[in-house]
Amino acid sequence: MIILEGVSVKYRIVEERRRSFQAHLINYLKGKRLVKHTLWALSNISVDIGEGESLGLIGSNGAGKSTLLKVVSGVIKPADGLVTVKGKIAPLIELAAGFDDELSGCENIFLNASILGFSKREIEERFDKIVDFSELRDFIDTPLKNYSSGMIARLAFSIATEVDPDILIIDEVLAVGDAHFKQKSKERILEFRSRGVTILFVSHDMEQVSNLCNRVVWLDHGKIIMTGKTNEVIQEYEAYQSGRKKDENPSSPLRKQG
Amino acid sequence: MVNSLGEAREIFRYRELLRNLVLRDIKKRYKRSALGFLWVMLDPLLMLLVFYVIFSGLFGKSIGQYSAYVMSGIIMWQFFSQGTKVASLAFLQNRNLINKIALPKAIFPLSIVASSLVHFIFSLVPLFIIILSSGTKIGINLALLPYVVGIVFIFSLGLALTVSTLAVFFHDVVYIYDVLLLGWMYLSAIFYPVSILPGKLQALISLNPLYHFISLFRASLYDTAYLTAEHMVLGSVFALLSLLTGWAIYYTNRERIIFYL
Repeated sequence: MIILEGVSVKYRIVEERRRSFQAHLINYLKGKRLVKHTLWALSNISVDIGEGESLGLIGSNGAGKSTLLKVVSGVIKPADGLVTVKGKIAPLIELAAGFDDELSGCENIFLNASILGFSKREIEERFDKIVDFSELRDFIDTPLKNYSSGMIARLAFSIATEVDPDILIIDEVLAVGDAHFKQKSKERILEFRSRGVTILFVSHDMEQVSNLCNRVVWLDHGKIIMTGKTNEVIQEYEAYQSGRKKDENPSSPLRKQG
Repeated sequence: MVNSLGEAREIFRYRELLRNLVLRDIKKRYKRSALGFLWVMLDPLLMLLVFYVIFSGLFGKSIGQYSAYVMSGIIMWQFFSQGTKVASLAFLQNRNLINKIALPKAIFPLSIVASSLVHFIFSLVPLFIIILSSGTKIGINLALLPYVVGIVFIFSLGLALTVSTLAVFFHDVVYIYDVLLLGWMYLSAIFYPVSILPGKLQALISLNPLYHFISLFRASLYDTAYLTAEHMVLGSVFALLSLLTGWAIYYTNRERIIFYL
């Protein structure tokens, strides 16, 4: 269960990046102060995601989708508002962030799973299942630098989904690897959904969103534009998007005709 | 400060990650070289050789057991300086992870200081060889060793938290700290006796925590003359102050770090 009440996140955008003492000192002496802009990546967002619900997040780049995921997973603490999250979270966000090239697949399983907060015993219990699902048993003692990118993605996916999550957070990567593994990973996510795992899914692929989600939130510039049933929101969103395209190409034949 | 206990508990919950980070560091550092882990022991021995060749003529007579004196100084200095120097980049270099996954960030500087401790323990081997081969017997004071190592660890951790947090907001801190370490080393009585310092500096050296740590380290290993109440009290106080300061700086800024990475 996830409840966000009036959540706001602001990023400070400094007009001129001064990261050195010298620059700070000189400007301080000159009486110049930093010109700061505040960018509200999220402003006053309230969303209720019930247990077992699959919520899609859509919107153009910079709408605040990823920031919202970070707030839910606890990476960012909002400047304002209340976040309540009940349950164990599995983040499927840039899966390989915790890997180390020089270590073997086996060592990376332990490293990556402990990044997700697992104890040694819990990792050992899941180890075989992770290896089996990834289908990498023959390469498990090979350093990761000799893996293909597909193999790395398979291993990461297997670790992140072997955690028995209550909440699954997915940023774009719904399926990884070759066609066969893509099918397998899709099935696993659908299986999670039927088991009642809460899913939070960010994507630009409207087909995937409508396949997976029963409700969608459309974000733009940090604000919720629309919340509702998947089909309705996607329809509105796509109409808005194509409208925007027309505005950008005033000379396009479409516009002349219509 | 009391509020921060929750954060400390989080770090404890992630102890498996701490273990894996330390293991990774050790594996990576020594996997590729032909002599492997032997380098941990060879490195201080080679440094000793350099110092000995240059300075034993100057200071060898005024310091008893000059090789043990220099070697203990080098090893203790390396433990502290390597740990905190690498740790200054702890948050910057792990920005990918910190940006993606919620975890207690202090685990990164902590793991770096912890792997420095592991290297230190291995480098005790050549030190004991040097001490024993010079005919010195190791006495009951060795019981002091865990305490000494403990306070140096606490001191290093505190400073690592300070430097790594500040480095997120001002990158210069990394370079400034590098230069600071260089000067600090020469002021830590690693290869010379304190008696050669001019009067004013001699009084100032008691403000140098490392001077107390190294003296206590020598006391625990081979010469009880270095065991004084001043070293014990000031060494412990410095360690505690460092940890409290570092923790306070980290704790108050921990949620801002992500916006500056």
